[in-house]
Amino acid sequence: MAGASLIERLRDPSETALGVLLLAPAFLLLALIVVYPIGTLIFNSFFDLRLSGGSGMKFVGLENYLLVLEDADFWNATWNTVLITLITVPGALVAGLGLALLANLPFRRQWPVRLALLLPWALPLAFAGLIFAWFFHTEYGVVNDVVRRLGFGSEPTMWLLRPGWAFAAICLTIVWKTSSFMALILLAGLQMIPRSLYEAAQVDGATRWQQFWQITIPMLMPSIIVALIFRTITALQTFDIPYTMTKGGPGNATETLAMLIHKTTIDYLDVGYGSTLAVFMFVLSLAVTTVYLRRIGRQA
Amino acid sequence: MQRRNLMKALALAAGMAAAAGTTAAFAQTALRVFSGGANQRPDLMRKLFDQYQAANPGVKIEIETGGATSELQRQYLSTVLNAKDSAIDIYMIDIVNPAQYFGAGWLEPLNAYVGNPADAMKPYLPVYLQSNVVDGKVAAMPGFADAMFMYYRKDLLDKYKIAEPKTWDELAAASKKIQAGEGNPNLQGLSIQGAPIEGAVCTFLLPYWSQGKEFNDASGKLTLDKAAAVKGLNQWLAMVDSGVIKRNVAEVKTPDTVNEFKAGQVVFAINWGFAWDRFQVDNDSTVKGKVGVMPLPAMAGGKSATCVGGWQWAVSAFSKNKAEAAKLVKFMSTPAASKFLAVEGSLLPVYQSVYTDPDVVKAVPWFKDASNVVIAGKSRPLSKDYGQVSDVVRTTTSAVLARTKKPDDGVGEIQSRLARVMR
Amino acid sequence: MTLPRGRPLTLLAAAIVVVNGFFPAVWILLTSLKSEAELVSKPITWWPRDPTLANYVQAFTDQPLLRYLGNSLAVAVLSTILSLVVAALAAYAIARLNLRHRQLILTCIVASSMFPLVTLLVPIFQTMRSLGLLNTYTALVLPYTVLNLPVCTLVLVSFFQSIPRDLENAAMIDGCTRLGALWRVVVPLAAPGVFTAGILAFVNAWDEFLLALSLNASASMRTLPVGITLYQGEFTFPWPIISAALVVAIVPVAVLIAVFQERVVGGLTQGGLKG
Repeated sequence: MAGASLIERLRDPSETALGVLLLAPAFLLLALIVVYPIGTLIFNSFFDLRLSGGSGMKFVGLENYLLVLEDADFWNATWNTVLITLITVPGALVAGLGLALLANLPFRRQWPVRLALLLPWALPLAFAGLIFAWFFHTEYGVVNDVVRRLGFGSEPTMWLLRPGWAFAAICLTIVWKTSSFMALILLAGLQMIPRSLYEAAQVDGATRWQQFWQITIPMLMPSIIVALIFRTITALQTFDIPYTMTKGGPGNATETLAMLIHKTTIDYLDVGYGSTLAVFMFVLSLAVTTVYLRRIGRQA
Repeated sequence: MQRRNLMKALALAAGMAAAAGTTAAFAQTALRVFSGGANQRPDLMRKLFDQYQAANPGVKIEIETGGATSELQRQYLSTVLNAKDSAIDIYMIDIVNPAQYFGAGWLEPLNAYVGNPADAMKPYLPVYLQSNVVDGKVAAMPGFADAMFMYYRKDLLDKYKIAEPKTWDELAAASKKIQAGEGNPNLQGLSIQGAPIEGAVCTFLLPYWSQGKEFNDASGKLTLDKAAAVKGLNQWLAMVDSGVIKRNVAEVKTPDTVNEFKAGQVVFAINWGFAWDRFQVDNDSTVKGKVGVMPLPAMAGGKSATCVGGWQWAVSAFSKNKAEAAKLVKFMSTPAASKFLAVEGSLLPVYQSVYTDPDVVKAVPWFKDASNVVIAGKSRPLSKDYGQVSDVVRTTTSAVLARTKKPDDGVGEIQSRLARVMR
Repeated sequence: MTLPRGRPLTLLAAAIVVVNGFFPAVWILLTSLKSEAELVSKPITWWPRDPTLANYVQAFTDQPLLRYLGNSLAVAVLSTILSLVVAALAAYAIARLNLRHRQLILTCIVASSMFPLVTLLVPIFQTMRSLGLLNTYTALVLPYTVLNLPVCTLVLVSFFQSIPRDLENAAMIDGCTRLGALWRVVVPLAAPGVFTAGILAFVNAWDEFLLALSLNASASMRTLPVGITLYQGEFTFPWPIISAALVVAIVPVAVLIAVFQERVVGGLTQGGLKG
């Protein structure tokens, strides 16, 4: 009897019990891999932990946090990061949506478009930056070669050595690389839209433009939000592409928050301050994404 | 013949190191060595380790190789050492790192094994007393050296009957004469590294040092002379303006200089010692047999100076076999080991005497010219915060060369940022 | 959807997309056939003057490229499968069950990806060392799974939500358990989402560099991105050889992804949602 009821309960557990069961693997993994590191990081942010000083840990309370607020490098990097996010997230969304719509069209041969959509994604991130840095190279770059062939400009432009151009080149590269990610998620979303909706709309005489705004976009919204959340989080963590293209230069015109954190931790060995910067980055990410997340939570 | 003698000498040295050991000779000790990347020639190091193992049957040495560049190695080492990992006993580290790593408590002081610093470092090139001794402690033992050399096109200088320039202005004049005479728009007078890489630290220091100025005093305090530093940077900018150095110099990395010189597009090139073989040995080099090496020019009234690089052996503070590890480090830093690396791998010796060793001169003739340059070599700023010092100097130098910063402002920035760190 | 009108315009757009997507890869391919000397010629050349396969030979002889490829494949496949299973379970709980604090649970999972990896590196290294996992596939599979958990969970949550509950209820009336319904009804219907989450997880794991460099440092356990950096030297950057290695790295992934996608998408359009 007891056995039967146990089987019964396993077959149809209560909502909460099932929920705990289903969430357990995820949270166990999180606990094993990131809870300790994140805890350590927050703990370290309250200490003067400059390894090169060799003086050990000293509790300094909120001093690191106050120092961050008056650190010009922090504000410069934050501004660059926010600007990159504001440019590349919408940029990748528009480009990605275009890619996804094209890839979803019934071409006879779909693989060229699909592969074109995937190739930027398959190119390892660290090398994508190097390759684009090479494209923008003053002498050996394709960009200047094309400019020269078209007969513009006697003096080649030094794209990566002018703050404005360097910034634009980085943003372009990021959009190129990440619109694949957007397109992948959006393409999957497009495939989930029932065809019957379009058929019905056509019967009602809706134009393609109307169909797009009244069926495609609303039905795609959940996918768009998911793509935006992750593109935003990764944009706020932008590291590899500017690191390999300009190392943050010229000067620190293209230095992002993640690069500043990397430099502080790995090169300066200032673990306390680096951790504090990471906490700031976390707060920034959380603030931005909470807005989106609330929407998903409400839909659930 | 020559090689056999060398091996004999090595075996002898290894045997002596073994005899000097006081620990039980046959207790099996495994030593794990981080031996850098492919450029640090782990294949040759392995041969030395095999020698050592043969003479010390109780020791077994395993090699771990790491990232290909100093930067990738630093990324890896800072993780492993920060985690206080005891798995690796010995590290091969870049010359700029002993102070920083020792300051972080990652390296075992070697005084107990090699004696007091002044005596221990005496046989080596003078630069090591600065770079490898921190707070009166020996932090690392020299493995092999490197330095920034001035390579030049012997054939072109001969053609225009120009002597090796002694000052930067003479060099600029010589370049312009050759560039005009050759009529090749792609021919650069001088190639230096202006991208924000480690080499740009040297690009900043070379014209500054060559005015007889110092970046820091013996205690590591910043002694930057602003006027001289600005003058140094202006020297480069003037050469850019006159077409001796190319416009996009702030984009030039070490390999660019090498490849362009190899392709015959450069008259004078500043680069590390490894470049010699690329110019003289590589199949695709168009300048084979046309290359000379000379001391770096100075500012008028100053004296020639160069940046020393190279690799050091250090014992991990977290090692469980420090005594055995220190013995191996001593062996890897003997004149015999240095000679072996010079003959077999063209790696620059750390002993002045080895440069004139007949076997070495026979195997690597250009080391004769190199020795004068290396002896005048200086160490980059010695600081426990070298990571920060390097970052500030190279970023600023590159920005000045890209003309997004004025030399005056740039040097001011270096001064104000580093005054806090180098006290 | 019917065939689009304005066909030439669409074709033009497709052409732009194809060029944009292929260009860097094609450039790498062309470079891999050039000699290093050709790269410093001015003006630059597009087509290799003297096409050579020497760079490929060197790429395979300088480094155990196949070994790296195998390691990367093993780590990426294992962590993709694990991410999908773990994320599907969690996503189902969040999307379908009547749980309190759903929003908080989701935020917690997503928030774990908001710290820069470089600041978590040392404690992760310590954890793996104390578990004795350094230089094993597990050392990378576990962290990669965690790194991919947020994106996979979110993608799956949004797809699970878009599947009508009726279908699931019908399956349960037919005698399926809840988990059975998840496996037999929800996951197949959300196939595009599952596939997308999988491909994201796969490529993220395939690309990762920082953890791979530190946790699997021994030569036999290196992954491809770390391995490819070994072709460069302290003072050299041999683009042609690196390009050859990159081609070797890109081709299998591209083929794999393209084949899988065709399968999944094809299967879906034939039998899938009719709404």
